[in-house]
Amino acid sequence: MENDESVPDDALLSGIAVGDEEAGLAFVRRYQRRLYGLALGIVGDVGDAEDVAQEAFIRIFRHAQVFDTRRGSVSTWALTITRNLAIDAIRLRRSVPTDPADPVFVDLMSNERPTDTVALASHDVAQARRVLATLPPEQRRAVVLAAVYGRTAEQIAQSESIPLGTAKGRIRLGMARLRTGVEIEDPL
Amino acid sequence: MNGPVDRRGDCEKERSDLAEVALGIASGRRRAEVLEHVEGCARCARELDELTKVGDTLLSFGPRNESPIGFELRLAQRLRNDAIGPRPSRAHRAGVWALAAVLIAVVGLGVGSLVRNHQPSPVSASSPALRVAALKAGGRGVGELMVSAGRPAWMFMTLEDASWSGLVTCEVVFADGHVETTGRFKLSGGYGAWGAPLRAPAGDVRKVRLITQSGSVYASAQLPA
Repeated sequence: MENDESVPDDALLSGIAVGDEEAGLAFVRRYQRRLYGLALGIVGDVGDAEDVAQEAFIRIFRHAQVFDTRRGSVSTWALTITRNLAIDAIRLRRSVPTDPADPVFVDLMSNERPTDTVALASHDVAQARRVLATLPPEQRRAVVLAAVYGRTAEQIAQSESIPLGTAKGRIRLGMARLRTGVEIEDPL
Repeated sequence: MNGPVDRRGDCEKERSDLAEVALGIASGRRRAEVLEHVEGCARCARELDELTKVGDTLLSFGPRNESPIGFELRLAQRLRNDAIGPRPSRAHRAGVWALAAVLIAVVGLGVGSLVRNHQPSPVSASSPALRVAALKAGGRGVGELMVSAGRPAWMFMTLEDASWSGLVTCEVVFADGHVETTGRFKLSGGYGAWGAPLRAPAGDVRKVRLITQSGSVYASAQLPA
């Protein structure tokens, strides 16, 4: 089952909830690159990222029984758990995060029009990617740093050497443009 | 005399931080203030909901990286510790213990290959079959049933039927004709998702019926022999 992408995420969670070992293994193998990659992008340290990703899996397994698909997709739930844990880890360290160094960040900051991967993505993801590319670079940067890498407005202000109000404004305006430009379907 | 509270001023103030709340980057105090306002403001509640969906979509852009060698083995060890610890319920411990056991077995045995090429090793020569069937109500498709021959065997179903809501009892009919009630769940707003372990081999499941409280069959799915 572990390589069978046709098994939906919520079915795997259901298997995990009843203790099906192969469902658990399939879930770990399906998500470890995403959860670890996101954690690494946020905390910037291999050891801390592994801690965060593993804790995220433990929480997912622990709460698999109570996951409600009406509240969003499994992937969003798993990524949100990971991101929140990573943000907590950074806060605990009280360190100022550096700029993300991964290719995804570079790609999102690029002014090139997104093409191939966007064509393969779901409608709302593809639309969000397109609208994101139309934002002024400074807004796009602030939104991506906040939304994907969990940077606070204060951290963005510090790393960009701009006033706090400017950082908050960039996040607010960028998100407002995305909200009006993206017709997002309910994640059911 | 106290009149209705004019919260328009609050609205402008709190709306300025809705995006940060939606993205989960606002401070705890600020988040609490904004959410308190949102409780009583339909417009801000809607905007927060929409911004949260945008944030969720953006999160899917996140980077992907190969995890370090030994990641699964260390996860298995942590899962085992988690299952032993005092917090989780007995059912949870059983489930997590089983997951830990298989991760340790699979990854432990596959450590050599993981070290060499960091590729996942197969669980077994034949992965358990997952059978899928449509759930139908009066000939109309209302959902999907999945039956997995995992360890333990389990089934999972999703239903979406705007025309009906209520409590249903799930009955499983096996190849030898015996019928087992596996549990009850509620379709609310026409939607329901539910799963349960099976006490008999998954391959023996022939039919799954959902029975309403009045005793009639609301929907059923037929599985081939």
